[in-house]
Amino acid sequence: MAESVTVTPLTPIIGAEVSGVDLAHIDDDGFSALRKAFLDHSVLFFRDQDISIDAHKALGRRFGDLHIHPAANDYNDGVKDHPEILVIHADEKTTRTAGDSWHSDVSCDAEPPMMSILRLHTLPPLGGDTLFASMYAAYDALSGPMKQLLGSLTATHDGGPNYRDRAGRQGVDTSAKAYPASSHPIVRTHPETGRKALYVNRAFTTHVDGIPRDEGNAILGFLFNHIEKAQFQCRFRWQPNSVAMWDNRCTLHHAMWDYFPNVRSGFRVTVKGDRPV
Amino acid sequence: MNDMSTGYAILDVRRTSPNIGAEVRGVDLANGLTADEFAEVERAFHENQVLFFKDQSRIAPDVQVEIGKMFGPLHFHPAAPHLEGYPPVFVIHAHKESKIANGEGWHTDVSCDTEPPLGTMLQMHILPSAGGDTMFASMYGAYDTLSPAMQSFLEGLTASHESEHIYRGRYSDRGVDDSDKVYPSAVHPVVRTHPATGRKALYVNAGFTMRINELSKAESRNLLDFLFRHMEEQLMVTRFRWSENDVALWDNRCVQHRALWDYWPEERKGHRVTIKGDRPFFKP
Repeated sequence: MAESVTVTPLTPIIGAEVSGVDLAHIDDDGFSALRKAFLDHSVLFFRDQDISIDAHKALGRRFGDLHIHPAANDYNDGVKDHPEILVIHADEKTTRTAGDSWHSDVSCDAEPPMMSILRLHTLPPLGGDTLFASMYAAYDALSGPMKQLLGSLTATHDGGPNYRDRAGRQGVDTSAKAYPASSHPIVRTHPETGRKALYVNRAFTTHVDGIPRDEGNAILGFLFNHIEKAQFQCRFRWQPNSVAMWDNRCTLHHAMWDYFPNVRSGFRVTVKGDRPV
Repeated sequence: MNDMSTGYAILDVRRTSPNIGAEVRGVDLANGLTADEFAEVERAFHENQVLFFKDQSRIAPDVQVEIGKMFGPLHFHPAAPHLEGYPPVFVIHAHKESKIANGEGWHTDVSCDTEPPLGTMLQMHILPSAGGDTMFASMYGAYDTLSPAMQSFLEGLTASHESEHIYRGRYSDRGVDDSDKVYPSAVHPVVRTHPATGRKALYVNAGFTMRINELSKAESRNLLDFLFRHMEEQLMVTRFRWSENDVALWDNRCVQHRALWDYWPEERKGHRVTIKGDRPFFKP
């Protein structure tokens, strides 16, 4: 990256806006600086990135193999030649949007995506912000005994309820489709930073494994409220051709659907990740 | 008949539920207890957590005090007025004019004390035509039905028990002026080991327990809310329907109770003697 590149944190906890970089043309030095900023801030934002689908995919591939979304084929507006592209689109016909609650992308997969890169080309006149929350900060804010308890537990993340509801609202028949479900540790250690992060979310996490439902519901209910505290968050206001690049291993995000019937549309590339540990 | 009912030479002990409670016949407490009788009563008490003595005569206050003393030194309530001439005797009384009744929510007696009562012996003298039952919940059962992960989490924790919010002004209608009084508070383990049986019991209650000390406020509130719901599970509860002069003797170290005030404006009255206990501890 050239010397003109600047990284401006949005909050002390999470998020930074990166300027002076063209995501379609990054050299190796630039990429390693980008990667460091990504690990430091968990979410990066870029403006004015009018990049092609191919460049978008190429950017993702520098981080790792691309992920094919288990629900990608539920939508007619998919980019058919690019299964690695997930179309994010809402308009006046939309009955439910993607990401309209706090979640980590596809945490129902056994090896959930490490990161997602979203470029929006069309935005409503107002609204459609995305909120990101640091699961490092959410973990750090727990008491010692609570950290210990959570460290001993795993939880089940099930894609079925979430994706079936979303597809069903679009008239897609999912009766023959099986969606992934996986058990993951409630506290995961980030494979690159070594920091501990909470790894549950309202969209996918259905129950705590191996303990009575009442106990698990009490724990999850508390955690879902805890992780949504404003002090762990940043909020990104999009412009056309803004790009957000987030680390699914240590963040949750929530896309505001406050712009109906306006259009918000773009492409997401998702990079495969490891099994959470 | 079940195994817990056998082996008694004097008493007839019949369990009222699989997890807690037994009806006891074969002694009239109004006559006091012999050493042999006391030994069987104490055994039944440890085995069943709460005993209901049936077919009793009215116990004179000094006899009730003497029976209480067989279990240990008596406890003097920090707030409630006592029977004239008998400081250890706490009069339980609700009637048409009452604004509150004792023990309406789930609690263990006076857990705000550093050394909370071991047990409580209550004889009811006047009962409403219907209602006024008391429910007893096993805190052994509450502990045993938690997952091992939750059990070990709780075993490392302590909780603050306070009483100011309960007792301040509570007995003003009985002429108690408490303006100079400081009401007790104490820190106890969330799981306590019963000193006689060695069993582990959950020891937080909605009446006195304000927070778990090692956790953040939100964590504590959430966990206590869960535990207060959990301990109400009816599988671990026995419900006692009183007859006149019945005596209930409950172990505050492993039981919570709740007296239903569903009989207003009718009257319900009785005498309670409370036995002092040890400081709660946890032994892994």
